Amino acid sequence: METRSLPAMSGDQQSGGLQSYALSERPKLLRFLAARGAGDEAEDLLHELWQRIAASPVQPVADPMAYLFRAAENLIRDMRRSRLSREKRQYDWHDTSVVPEEQPLGERVLIAREKLRAVEAELDRLGPRVSTVFRAYRIEGVSQAIIAREMGISLSSVEKDLQKAYRAIAELKAKLDSE
Amino acid sequence: MTQENSDVMNTARLWMIRVNEPGFENWDVFTSWLEADRRHLEAYEAALAEDEWLAHLARGNTVSAWSRPKANADGAASRLRSLFARWPRQAFGGLIAASLAIVMVAVVVMNQGPGMTEIVTPPGQHRTIAMEDGSRIVVNGDSSLSYNPDEPRFVSLDRGEALFEVRHDETNPFVVQAGATRLVDAGTVFNVVSDAGALEVAVAEGAVIYNPEREKIRLNPGDALTRPGPDAPVEVRRIDVTGIGGWHEGILQFQDAPLSAIVRDLARAVGKPIRLADGAARIRYTGTLAVGGSAEEVRVQIAPLLGVTIIEEADGWVMKPANAASR
Repeated sequence: METRSLPAMSGDQQSGGLQSYALSERPKLLRFLAARGAGDEAEDLLHELWQRIAASPVQPVADPMAYLFRAAENLIRDMRRSRLSREKRQYDWHDTSVVPEEQPLGERVLIAREKLRAVEAELDRLGPRVSTVFRAYRIEGVSQAIIAREMGISLSSVEKDLQKAYRAIAELKAKLDSE
Repeated sequence: MTQENSDVMNTARLWMIRVNEPGFENWDVFTSWLEADRRHLEAYEAALAEDEWLAHLARGNTVSAWSRPKANADGAASRLRSLFARWPRQAFGGLIAASLAIVMVAVVVMNQGPGMTEIVTPPGQHRTIAMEDGSRIVVNGDSSLSYNPDEPRFVSLDRGEALFEVRHDETNPFVVQAGATRLVDAGTVFNVVSDAGALEVAVAEGAVIYNPEREKIRLNPGDALTRPGPDAPVEVRRIDVTGIGGWHEGILQFQDAPLSAIVRDLARAVGKPIRLADGAARIRYTGTLAVGGSAEEVRVQIAPLLGVTIIEEADGWVMKPANAASR
């Protein structure tokens, strides 16, 4: 397996520390990227990850391993998102009757509004605890640990409530998409 | 869906819920689960897509809390108290805000060189851009912003004002280029005004670093940086966070601001040039102006607040002190 040449390490100690961690944990990171579906591109993605780490502003990192894996997960998600958007853009471009940016925004908004209303109704149907937990998590961005603490319930209960909510939303999505 | 597939989906959703939690550490267990069966990866991606769908729905809605990226997970203590104070009854209002700007007319979208898209807004028109990484940018009127859809973490604010809601990713920071200035952040809500070399940056959530390679000034929530010209000294002061980006909802807040600064924001809001006459520039104002109505409504309402008369002329407004001797 060819080892790609790496960009020069920055003079900064923290960033250098992270980069040397990335080097020593290379096999684990590659294995994770492969398991996440990178396939043949795992090496390329690792290189991309390296560059992102080298370029980001330096902050103290409590747990370098967790940081690196988090970065790898984010990278995979970004790649997937941009690939899907690119495919959609190419598809839209070929459909010359509709230019995506100028599609009647009012129509799109109204349809989205209806669907969001359905999601709200579904959450309410699941009961006040599930509804509160999910909104705190998804809208307000509160961590599950803090939701558990503030509501006086276990972390496991929070996880179960979120699972219930996501499952209900998935079923709703399937129903709406088939209409 | 078969029971077995349904179980796999449930497990996949649980993994997503756990992985998304800050401080998640069981990456090797997660890796083993993914490797155990190829359906596990498919299910996990499907769970992520379900979550994306929610965010995508909300992007069609210019003022919706659902599309906002998660802010720092802990939040202020008082905000948390109010979040859960009304538990077990429903704690939040509707997901869909009452105000909704719908039709944007005559917004110019140009392609500028390889991959670059430019948004140019006419005076008085806002435009919301949903970036592919989940970030959201609201561009004010009379402004110009460029970006490459394939590089969602970089935009260039060429002229004017924009409110940024950036998806958190400290490993891949979002960069706003305003002229020669780089603003770098990693999950934040902030407002930028860039006007012929004059710059203003106000941070509502998260943190933004001003020119990390040079001055490296860190701006936290409530910090507002002003730089009156390209080589002028930089000043950072404290402002009220709730006022940041208020133009988006038709609200402008000022703290002992001279009229010369006020008319710049006002002109952008009403979409007309505004000229100051007879010493009006010396007037200072502290308070809030509601500028969401028609230009005429705004003109009538704010004149007494500012202590001016506002005359409507063919090419815009003229503001004079209310007690100036008439010519």
